[in-house]
Amino acid sequence: MLRFDPQEARRAAQCSAAGILGLALLTLIAFRLHLNFAAASSCYLLLVILLSLSGDMFSSALVSVAAVGCLDYYFVEPVLSFRIEKSVNVLALASFLVTGLIIARLVAKVRAKAATSQVHHERLQQLYELAQKLLALQPDVAVGKDFLELFIGVFGIEAACLYDAVGGELQFAGHPRALLEEKTGEAFARGKDRDDPVNRIHARCIRIAGSVTGAIGFEGLDDPQTAGPLGALGAAHLERTHSFRKASRAAASAHTESYRSAILDALAHEFKTPLSTILTAAGALREAGTLGPHHREMAETVESEAARLSRLTMRLIRTARLEQEEVRPWMELMDLASVIEETVEPYARMSAERSICVVKECNSSDVQADPELIRLLVGQLLDNACKYSTPGSPVTLRVSRQGDQLALRVFSSGNPIDASEKPKIFDRFYRGAGGQRRAPGSGLGLFVARKIALAHGGRLELEDDDPADGTVFCLSLPVPEPERRSERNDIATAV
Amino acid sequence: MISPQPSKTFSVLVVDDEPSLRKVIRASLAASGFAVEEAGTGKDAVAAIRQRPFDIVLLDVNMPGISGVEACRQIRALAPRAGIVMVTVRDAEEDKVRALEAGADDYVTKPFRFRELVARLGAVLRRTHTVRDAEADVLQAGDLKLELERHLLSKRGEPVRLSPKEFDLLAYLMKNQGAPMTHVKLLRAVWGPEYGGELEYLRSYVRMLRKKIEDDPARPQYILTEAWVGYRFRNPSDPDQPVNQEEQ
Repeated sequence: MLRFDPQEARRAAQCSAAGILGLALLTLIAFRLHLNFAAASSCYLLLVILLSLSGDMFSSALVSVAAVGCLDYYFVEPVLSFRIEKSVNVLALASFLVTGLIIARLVAKVRAKAATSQVHHERLQQLYELAQKLLALQPDVAVGKDFLELFIGVFGIEAACLYDAVGGELQFAGHPRALLEEKTGEAFARGKDRDDPVNRIHARCIRIAGSVTGAIGFEGLDDPQTAGPLGALGAAHLERTHSFRKASRAAASAHTESYRSAILDALAHEFKTPLSTILTAAGALREAGTLGPHHREMAETVESEAARLSRLTMRLIRTARLEQEEVRPWMELMDLASVIEETVEPYARMSAERSICVVKECNSSDVQADPELIRLLVGQLLDNACKYSTPGSPVTLRVSRQGDQLALRVFSSGNPIDASEKPKIFDRFYRGAGGQRRAPGSGLGLFVARKIALAHGGRLELEDDDPADGTVFCLSLPVPEPERRSERNDIATAV
Repeated sequence: MISPQPSKTFSVLVVDDEPSLRKVIRASLAASGFAVEEAGTGKDAVAAIRQRPFDIVLLDVNMPGISGVEACRQIRALAPRAGIVMVTVRDAEEDKVRALEAGADDYVTKPFRFRELVARLGAVLRRTHTVRDAEADVLQAGDLKLELERHLLSKRGEPVRLSPKEFDLLAYLMKNQGAPMTHVKLLRAVWGPEYGGELEYLRSYVRMLRKKIEDDPARPQYILTEAWVGYRFRNPSDPDQPVNQEEQ
């Protein structure tokens, strides 16, 4: 690309003047010394070569042409005339001119190459320095001003701008114009690099694993080719920061997890003794027989509330333990409907304003299961039904037979679960949008409930075809195969 | 309420490192007619037993110094006839098994209710203080009648056919009615000392026994499961029936 550079023009003019002056001086000396054509042309060639080494192509060519003129005028017969009589002299002059021009061209080429390689070298140095500084940046420092300042400091640009789509952050450093933000935004939005050579603004997309995750823009960058490597460095640092953040989050969550289990262990141990103390004291007071009816009622309230607190605490601890550990059911033949009725009883007592009923729609509801775990599971479903349904609305638990499965359906009305939330409600720590606002909970209940169902070879699901204004959870457990008569004999013989 | 021998005041040693629980248990049991002494550690408890006999020891399984299980072993060696009830926590079934193997008669699980504690103590006192006719030929519980000599079981007067091992298992459970029996103890008592780990085996027998003696095997009234620990035979006519803590 040809461009008029006043600085270069000035330099060319200076070199040309010096060349012409040298040529005049050389001509004077050579003419006084009466050098012949061959000696003079050698001296001129030397001058052209010297000039090429320090000057540029234009001045060398100019001096070459001038040297041909001087040779012709002062050293070719007839002397002091531009006329040439012998054709051999024409040839000699022509070959001098061609040689001079070729030398000028070659030297200029070599010089240009050297200059480019010098620029490349410097640029590499700068990129290396930048990379080193980026690596030295603490990865936990948010990608921001510090990061961008490095680009400005090392490359001497005017301003830099970064848009990080993952963190949703837009950062600036230096003295940017509005155009920089616009171009950087454009690069991200279009997924294409943007160059504005007039304003010397270059924006590059940041791609991580093939997808555009942000853009970085530079203002005052002369060489658009540098923008590419700079963008790549920016992307690498951004990726490193994101990975670090991810790892930090994972480490933090592992830390929270161990903290949580430590708290739970402490709870498990520390709560039981005081609860026993309260329960024993209240129970003994009640049974002492010396209390009046009011005081007796108070002692009963203390005892039943402490018992409730102990039930809640134990359930919380068990739920949290089961969340972390493998569920190992102690299977035995049990009547699902009776276990459900036992579980419902305290809930029904506590929420007198709500009707909670158990409907058994099959003759036998015997299953092979762990009664304690099933109590925990049913308790969780009941808890959910009571917490999230319209206050005072009925909750119905239906036990029915479906092929080789025994199904328990828990119906509650009001507050249907949003379709978008349905796939997530069994996730660990997931709490529905409504839940976070309205009801307290750990976000573990349904996760553990499903874990228990799976450990029994069963399923726990949210039914799709639930009534528009309600929720139906369905637990299904396999019905035990009828035990064979021969089983007894087999074992008896084995003894 | 607790009246194996109504005229007698039973002496109880309450061993717990928690002073407030000790104090409350002491006051409550004293109000129920027990003579109560306290010990704050297993070592003190063993020292107290050396000093004088106790009818029953209520022993916390989790204590600093020598553990409750170790204290139980030492107390059992010193006082073979004393009743020992361990205080354990839920989810620590191994502690329960270890305590029973170390000679404990029963356990209550924290947090417990006062009436449950008194019922457990009463049941253990009944077992340790009732002069049992070692030669009793007929064991009865609810509708069941087991004639050891004739190897016969009848339910409401109707004979029930049992295999020899089923009979031995039921007889052993009935002889120790009210007391929790660990799996290992049952297997060794019925099948022989080389047994101990054959859990599934025992469970199949219990399943079959329940089918024969229970009105509804899914809601057993006689052979109750102590999850991860063992089984307990419940006599419906016993006044201090075990209480299921979950249903409090």
